[in-house]
Amino acid sequence: MVGSHSRAHAVARYALLVPLLVLMAFPLLWMVRVAFMPTGTSLALGLGRLSSITLTNFYDLFVQANLGRALLNSVVVGILVTAGNIFFCFMAAYGLARYRNLGNRLLFASVVLVLMIPAHVVIIPLYVLCQKAGLYDSYSALILPWLVSPIGIFLVKQYIESIPPAMEEAARVDGAGEFRIIFRVVMPLCKPALAVLAIQVFFTNWNSFLFPFILTSSDTLRTLPVALALYQGHQAIDWQHLMAGSTLAVAPVLAVFLLMQRQIVSGITAGAIKQ
Amino acid sequence: MSLPRSATSLALTSPWTITLAAFWVFPVAYSLYMGFTDYRLLAHGHAWVGWDNYRELFADPAFLSALRNTFIFVLGTIPLTTVLALGMALLVDRPFQGRAFFRSAFFLPSITSMVVIALIFMNLYQRGGYVGLLAELVGLPVPANGFLYDNGTALFAIMAMDVWMSVGYYMLIFLAGLQAVPHELYEAAEINGASAWRRFRSITLPLLRPVALFVIVINSIKSFQVFVEIFVMTRGKFDTMTCVYFVYENGLTTAFRVGYASAAAYVLLVIIALFSVAQFALMRRRGPAW
Repeated sequence: MVGSHSRAHAVARYALLVPLLVLMAFPLLWMVRVAFMPTGTSLALGLGRLSSITLTNFYDLFVQANLGRALLNSVVVGILVTAGNIFFCFMAAYGLARYRNLGNRLLFASVVLVLMIPAHVVIIPLYVLCQKAGLYDSYSALILPWLVSPIGIFLVKQYIESIPPAMEEAARVDGAGEFRIIFRVVMPLCKPALAVLAIQVFFTNWNSFLFPFILTSSDTLRTLPVALALYQGHQAIDWQHLMAGSTLAVAPVLAVFLLMQRQIVSGITAGAIKQ
Repeated sequence: MSLPRSATSLALTSPWTITLAAFWVFPVAYSLYMGFTDYRLLAHGHAWVGWDNYRELFADPAFLSALRNTFIFVLGTIPLTTVLALGMALLVDRPFQGRAFFRSAFFLPSITSMVVIALIFMNLYQRGGYVGLLAELVGLPVPANGFLYDNGTALFAIMAMDVWMSVGYYMLIFLAGLQAVPHELYEAAEINGASAWRRFRSITLPLLRPVALFVIVINSIKSFQVFVEIFVMTRGKFDTMTCVYFVYENGLTTAFRVGYASAAAYVLLVIIALFSVAQFALMRRRGPAW
């Protein structure tokens, strides 16, 4: 009795899950399929003609559409912004966690406040500011405002507060200087939190469209999402090339997600549940 | 050798202090000021105009329709996303064959670039695309130019895509919330003969309330700011103009009316703040039965 009951349960579960899986997975699979389809193929018949697979779409993107530059921009900007966040978020988090004074308490309140401010408010003023300050349409505009993020400070501060200060005190007794303690003793201990932070920052930046789009105008400064959104086919929409570029944009996210699923999931839920 | 404690503290927090001042406090304050001026980026000089921009906004049919579309977007997607995310979380909560795989597959769209998702769905929504084929299969009418080039369907097509994309993310947050529900509660209820539905209503739902509140609040804040998908898919045409698209179009294209656009951004900011406060108040006051 119990066995047949739980089997009925399992059947019902899969009866719901499998259609859901098809619905959730199909769009991304379709993107990959179109990316490898010869140009000029009728898209409606795409699934039936699995034999026609080509790599020329990717080749065209690099040779004709100069997508290599956008890819390079995304990688370089992503690495710099991520490095900045690891370093600066850690510094600020350490200061806020270990130096308790009125100024720092206010500063932490500002972290939480900025975390909640809808970013749309700064679209216009940030554009005007970058114009006036000569940052507009430069790598600086893509990098400088994003070198330290409130979510990063928040995550790392919580982690540092869970580390007992005994180690730092022991090092201090041994005569180690403050910055040596901070960067040589505490920072290595924070590796798990910094890894979560790095993944989150890199991919937020990798996927980011709004600010890279409004703060630059040159073709040479386009990041991958901006280049894809502004890519125009010669006549009609050029699906094969668009989907090939999209596949390039998704591939690293997918790879890192599969490799580091646990860190990604913990990074996303940590902030959510503690509030 | 070593710096005084206060100097160390200042040095450590200085990157954040500078970022805060230059890229948050100044822009937010400057924007509030611009909203009361007739500032145009290409014109010389600007003057204080008081509440004129705000008065003009509420008489501007384009802004009113942007407000309406934004509310349709938020109020239409959030209940659906929340209920679906909770349902999916319950489906993949307990251990079973392939659980990790299903979880990942559902979650994956939410970490994909919005631009990419929008491009894929432009293909699926076009005339002769898969969504149209599916609609024909069940006998639904398909717009002649596809779902995105039609005043009646474009906004709803984008909303459906948004639900599809974000549901996995909120599923994950509900899953984390479900993990925090003590298992003994279910066992005790089961021994007392409570049905599965009863256990869900009396244990799971009340304990998930704070998580649900969090999901609804962050999803509303995000959804009120919908922009990228509108830009990529319709450029605000076909009755899909939203508030942030209105800000972008008025402030950063053709006339560069940054004063007017700033005022519009502040109207949306106030709406988001009021909405969040109201949600907190509502969820706090209501009894355990939701």
